[in-house]
This record gives sequence, structure tokens and C-alpha cells, in this order.
Amino acid sequence: MQLTVNGQVHEVDVEDDMPLLWVLRDELGVTGVKYGCGVAQCGACTVHLDGMAVRSCQIAAMSAEGAEITTIEGLGTPGTLHAVQEAWIEHQVAQCGYCQSGQIMQAASMLDFNAEPTDEDIDLVMSGNLCRCGTYPRIRAAIKTAAAKLREA
Amino acid sequence: MRKIAIAAAAMLLGAPLVWAAGENVVIEPPAEGSVTREDGLAAWDRIFEVASHPRCSNCHVGEDNVPMWSGPSYGEARPHGMNINAGESRIGLEYVTCATCHFERAGLNDVPHAAPQVAMAWQLAPVEAEWFGKSSDEICNQLRDPDRNGNRTFLDLAAHLDHDLILHWAWNPGGGREPAPYSLQAHVDDVLTWGVAGMPCANDG
Repeated sequence: MQLTVNGQVHEVDVEDDMPLLWVLRDELGVTGVKYGCGVAQCGACTVHLDGMAVRSCQIAAMSAEGAEITTIEGLGTPGTLHAVQEAWIEHQVAQCGYCQSGQIMQAASMLDFNAEPTDEDIDLVMSGNLCRCGTYPRIRAAIKTAAAKLREA
Repeated sequence: MRKIAIAAAAMLLGAPLVWAAGENVVIEPPAEGSVTREDGLAAWDRIFEVASHPRCSNCHVGEDNVPMWSGPSYGEARPHGMNINAGESRIGLEYVTCATCHFERAGLNDVPHAAPQVAMAWQLAPVEAEWFGKSSDEICNQLRDPDRNGNRTFLDLAAHLDHDLILHWAWNPGGGREPAPYSLQAHVDDVLTWGVAGMPCANDG
């Protein structure tokens, strides 16, 4: 089957129901997306499917065929970071960093449809992305900074 | 063909066979006038057992738009983890869409604690159909009220049970979850029996 990841079309020979997460990491070497729990409980594997945040551990490869799959590698580049990535650096959000690609992908998706999220909005959207280091106050601050940057842009 | 192949493989492995693709339902109401009020109320009692079962009622929640969770490891029903709120859209558009985890897909739901998936969009029932924690009489009156049942006759309710595949999941939830009582077909038959009896409720007097 053909999968479009970060704008590039890949031909992959996998079982139809292999989780997209496995295809990305093990078949295509796209390792920015992380394996956390495998049952949609932690959010570490969040990617965008046609712009919507989804847990890639829950999506069968065949379901992603024909869609635009975006991972943290495709959200921004070191030269042109996404506003959320910039804010992440500015606030030094990451501690161990394992969850951050999922956090950033979820946050970026939220800002696509909510330009000025309140603390409550952020908590409602981001509670499905766990951070065992407990960096939540910095996550919230970075999202607000990113939202402000995007509003100015 | 693929379904048959997987079914054969599951039988070979001795695994429970759980489909999210839906099953065939026969809609054959009893003849008009053939069901007594008493039999209609008995059918309602079974309908209520289904409607009030967590597999059904957990998604028939009120204006707070918070789905409920329950299962062998949870004890009493409790709010969906991860601070999930389905919003007024009832599909989570305002915050985290249901489809973020409950991806639309016909397949096996055999992994405990994973997000159940069916071949239609995962969603809460409309807020008019709130019945989590309500009594038999309250739900009975709701289900026969066109303003709160989606303007449906009893035949429409039976058809709704047939074509809304998310409802089929209640009897085949997988992942160690307790299914709703009876069967989908038995539930549809009860709705038809209740309907032909004139949709009686115990509080009719």
C-alpha cells in the first residue's frame, strides 16, 4: 500500500491492520513519533491525519492510505519551526522529552481550530497526553505563547 | 472474504470472535393488536435492562457532555479518563474528537483498555436522549416522545438499532467488557413488541 508521510509517498508492504505507529517507526524509520502504551491511553504516538490529531497506535495502516500523515518531523524543520515548537524551546518545556512530540502534535492541532485557548480549553484538550515528568505548567504556558505568535502571524 | 478468513483463524486459535462491523437484524413486528399491554410492559422491562446497561447508558449522558466509563476494573461508572469532553458537538470537535482514538473502522475490539472502534463515527447520543442514571419510567416516556427520540416511531427506533452500527457494539464490546443483556435481535424484537402494544409505560395509570 502507499502511505503519504510528511509529503512523501512511501510504498510499504505490511499487513492491512498493522498499527500506523509500527509502520512509521519500524518500516519507515520515522522515529519522532513515540510508542508509549499502545492502547490510546497516553498520547505519545499522536500524529496528524489530514490535519486532525490522532493516536497512531489505534489506526490500521490501511485506514491511513490516501490521507496526509504528518509527524513531528513534518510539522516544522530546524530552520522553520512551527510556532508550537518555537514556544517549546522558549519555555524549555521538555524534561525527559519522551512525550513531547505527541504533546506538540496535539497542541498544534488544537491551535488550528482554537486560536485563543483558555486554561480550561488547554486542560480539556491536553489531558490525553501524559507527561510523567509533570511539565504541565510549562506545556500550558508554551501553548499560550504559541497561540499568541500564531495570532500575530 | 477477509471476514471469513479472520473468523476461521479466530476459531482455530480459540479466540472470542468480536465484530465491530455490525450484524444482520430482522425487523418483523408482531401483528397489530396481537400484543397485550401486559406483554408490552414486560418487553419494556427488558428494554430498560438494555438501555440502563453501562454499554448503552454511558454514552447517553447530559449537558456536561462527559462520557462515562465502566468495566470489570472500574467498579461504579465514572467519567471517561483523560478529562474527555465531547462538547456540544457530541463528537468532541471542540476539544479532542472521539475519532482521535475511536477511529472509524470495522474490526476486532479484542485489546483490553484500547479504544473501541466501529464502522461509524464514535459519538455520544444527542443530549435530548440523556438517560444515564434515569429511572425506567423516565426513559420509557423519553423513548416514546418524538421530541426526545429523534421524531421516531417504534419502527423507526427498530430501524435505528439496525443501521446505527455503534449500537451493535453494545452486544459485542470486546476487550473483556460486559456486553449489554440479551442480544441485538432480541432487543429489536422487544422494541417491536412494545411498539405494537402502544408503547406503554408503567406510570400510565
